[in-house]
Formats: sequence, structure tokens, C-alpha cells
Amino acid sequence: MDLKSIKAIYKFIKSTDIVEIEVEGEGGKVRLRRGAAGLANPESAEQHVESSASVTAHATGGSAPSNSAPVETPDNIKIVASPMVGTFYRASSPETSAFVEIGSVVRSGHPLCIIEAMKLMNEVECEYNGKVVSILVENGQPVEYGEPLFHIEVSK
Amino acid sequence: MLERSSAEVRIIELLKGATGPVSGALLSRELGMSRSAVWKHVEALRKAGYAIEAKPRAGYRLASKDFPFGAVELLSSVQTDTVGSQALFFDSVDSTNTEALRLARDGAVEGAVIVADTQKQGRGRVGRKWVSPPRVNLYTSIILRPSMLPPHAHMLTFLAAVAMAEVIEKVIKKRPTVKWPNDILVDGRKIAGILLEMDSEIDRVHFVVIGIGVNINLDIDLLPHELRIGATSVSIEAGSDYSRVEFATALYYALEKWYKIVSGLGFGLDGFAPVVEAWRSYFSHEGKTLRVSSFNDTIEGICVGIDSDGALLLRRPSGEVERIISGDVQLCRVEPWNNECEEGE
Repeated sequence: MDLKSIKAIYKFIKSTDIVEIEVEGEGGKVRLRRGAAGLANPESAEQHVESSASVTAHATGGSAPSNSAPVETPDNIKIVASPMVGTFYRASSPETSAFVEIGSVVRSGHPLCIIEAMKLMNEVECEYNGKVVSILVENGQPVEYGEPLFHIEVSK
Repeated sequence: MLERSSAEVRIIELLKGATGPVSGALLSRELGMSRSAVWKHVEALRKAGYAIEAKPRAGYRLASKDFPFGAVELLSSVQTDTVGSQALFFDSVDSTNTEALRLARDGAVEGAVIVADTQKQGRGRVGRKWVSPPRVNLYTSIILRPSMLPPHAHMLTFLAAVAMAEVIEKVIKKRPTVKWPNDILVDGRKIAGILLEMDSEIDRVHFVVIGIGVNINLDIDLLPHELRIGATSVSIEAGSDYSRVEFATALYYALEKWYKIVSGLGFGLDGFAPVVEAWRSYFSHEGKTLRVSSFNDTIEGICVGIDSDGALLLRRPSGEVERIISGDVQLCRVEPWNNECEEGE
């Protein structure tokens, strides 16, 4: 049973009065209990340990293929690319509003987003005067080095 | 920004280094300024809290070793070439990192440090607060200008952690552990936190600010209730109060030592190999079940270490190993009766 299924079950019981539930699936059995004890899945920790290791990408991980390969853009549209591998944030904290939205007028030096890798936060600044015409990555998603993040329409 | 060569720092260095009173004539000769200019600087130092006695026909001496926490004290104590060569001190500031970023954008030199007695808006990861009570802790930010590529800059996170762990170990005479990527723990309780901020272009790092908060003489009761169980301080672990200036100078020394090693090896991943090796020696989560929370996801797995690029490696229940680049790590205690993850860690 993978974490996604467990989370789905957890979400489901949260919306009900169920306090404890046991579900059996392909990958094993899981028991969820709500309340002060929180999330408990005693089986999952020891059951799938021996399988051979291989490295894959994950939402919190690094090497997701870029789904926005560079495309032909008009001369007045500039691409802002990620200077490093990391996680893309549109705001400096979950409580604050995004640095920019589509349509935001920006000047050179205006912060556009933050890329984080291992508690190194990199505030990416706009290098142009213009307008944000597209935001190519969703908040909280992993980005690759050089991956396009924004399209900026440069003012004439 | 105060420099090490400034008159006030030099006066304190000369007074500290002397066994008896130092004459105004000698100070004026050493500093290349008139005796009345020396007197003005002595007055400024007194205002800053130094107990400087002036005896007629003998000279100046420090009447108390209770030196005020500030830029003069830091600069007259550091034993480094670069890190801590210039310092700016605030009684109170929003955040030393915010101030350091501003100063770095205005051209502050490599090695300049910002120190504050208290922060009004001390910051952690993704907008979290770093609780920063006055008079007890060290809050400092260090400006570096490494000639490196942005994709390697995150390795400085491990450099800062290793430097910090070494200093903590020396001071409390107990081995701390690191929590990926750079929290420093003693017996599972957080003693120091590190947050790095960078300004770069796609192919060039302009500067990196290493922001550091260390609980030095913190009484845990000063913390909000929910943080108390997961926190500790140097004084709690060492059994007695410790000088913030001594800690800062030891930290700047350790940072500079590791920075020189990496710089000498060229700031690439190979250059950081000794850092990663030292970091691993403080890492105790290998083989343990960890839960990593990121922006919109939480995953669990058994930690199989970190790779040479610093990514946390977690073996998932499927057997696949994932590379984690960012997120909050919690240690899960896997015992027959529960596998709750520790909060506050």
C-alpha cells in the first residue's frame, strides 16, 4: 500500500465519523486511527524493505523531466529560467501573496519567485522591465536547472 | 559597517593586549592620530559600554572584563582573515539575513558579518519564525561571494552545518547530530538553525548569505510553549553560561576553515566531498524511518544517507530510492506500539 492510497483513506475517514479503519489492498494491510494518536500505519514500515533500490523522481525530489521544453518565442518575450535544481515557490511564505501574477507589471530587480534546495533559498529576480505573460510552473513543484519559469513581455 | 582596522577596534585590541595602562601617546602613535582624537574614540567606547579608566601620567586601562556585546568586541576577538573582517551590529533588527541581503546588494564585501542582540522577525524556512529573545543567543548572518555556479551553491548548507557542529561539539564537549540538511541537534533537541539565501544569475552567484541562530544561554522558558520540548541551548548542555562573542569567533573560524578547503578545491562537487564526509559523521538518521513534508506532499521512507550532491535518499516501501531536494524531516520512531513521528524536531 503506498502513501497516496493511505492518504486517500485518511482524507476519507476525516470527512466521516469513523475513528478507526482497516483496509486490505494489494500492497498489504493498513490500519488508520484518528484522534490524539494521529496517523498510525504499523504495517507499512517493515513490509516493503527488501526490494532492490532504484532512484526515481518525486514531487519533493529532483529530477522530474521538464514538461515545458523551450519553444520558439517572439523577440519581445523573454524567458526567465531556473538557476538551480530545487523547489519553486511563488511567495516567500505560505501566508503571503505571490510575488507576481499573470499580468503583473515588473521592473528589473523585481522578485519573481523563490527556488529552494536544501535550505538555500534563491530569490529569482526579473532582469527585464515588462509584464508577466505566463507562469510555467506550479507552486511547490520541483524544477530543473535551466527550466523556464516565466515568460516576460518586455516593454518597448 | 565597522572594519577591523578602525580606531575603536585597535584601541580595544591594544588595551586588551597590555598588562598595564597604555599611554595616550602610545595609542596616538600606534593609530597615527592625535591624542585628542584618541580621547574621542575612548569616549565613544565608554558610551558603548567599555569600562575604560584613564589615570593621569599612566594612561588608559580596561577596568572590567565585562565587555559589551557588539561589533567592536567581535572584531577585536576574531582570528580570521575574511569571515568577520567587517561587522555591523544591531541591538534590534528585523532579521540579520534581511539586513545582510540588503548590504550585500549594496556591495558589502565577502566575509562581512551582521550580528543582532535580538531579531523582531527572525526567519526560518518558507516564512517560519525563528524566535529571537534578546541578551541570550547568537543571531548572525555572513556574506560570502564564492566564485561558483548556482547549481552547486546549496552545498554551502552542509558547509555551514559542519562548521556549526564542530563548534558546538568543542564547546559542550558532547557530539551533536545533524538533521538533514542543516539543523544541529543535541540528543534530538535543536540547538542551532541555519538558513541560506542566495542572489544569482543563471550562471553566476552574486552572493550567498548564511544566516545562523544559535541558542547560547537560552532559558527554555523564554520560548513559546510548543517549542520547549524540542529545543536546547549551549548553556543547558555545557552546564554553564557561554560567551556569545567567543562562540561567534569560533564559528567564524570554523566557517572560514571549511570555506578555504572548498575554495582550494574549486567549489565543485569534488571540492565539497570533504564537507559531505564530515557531515555524514554527524548524521545519525541512516537506517531510520523519516517523514519528509514539503509544500504539498508528505512521504516516508527509510533513510539510506545523502548523495554527493547533498540530496536526502529515502527508500520507499516500494523499494525505490528517492532523492529529496527540499522539505522538513521528522524522525519516526518505529516501535511495535507506535510509529509516530516526533513533533518539534
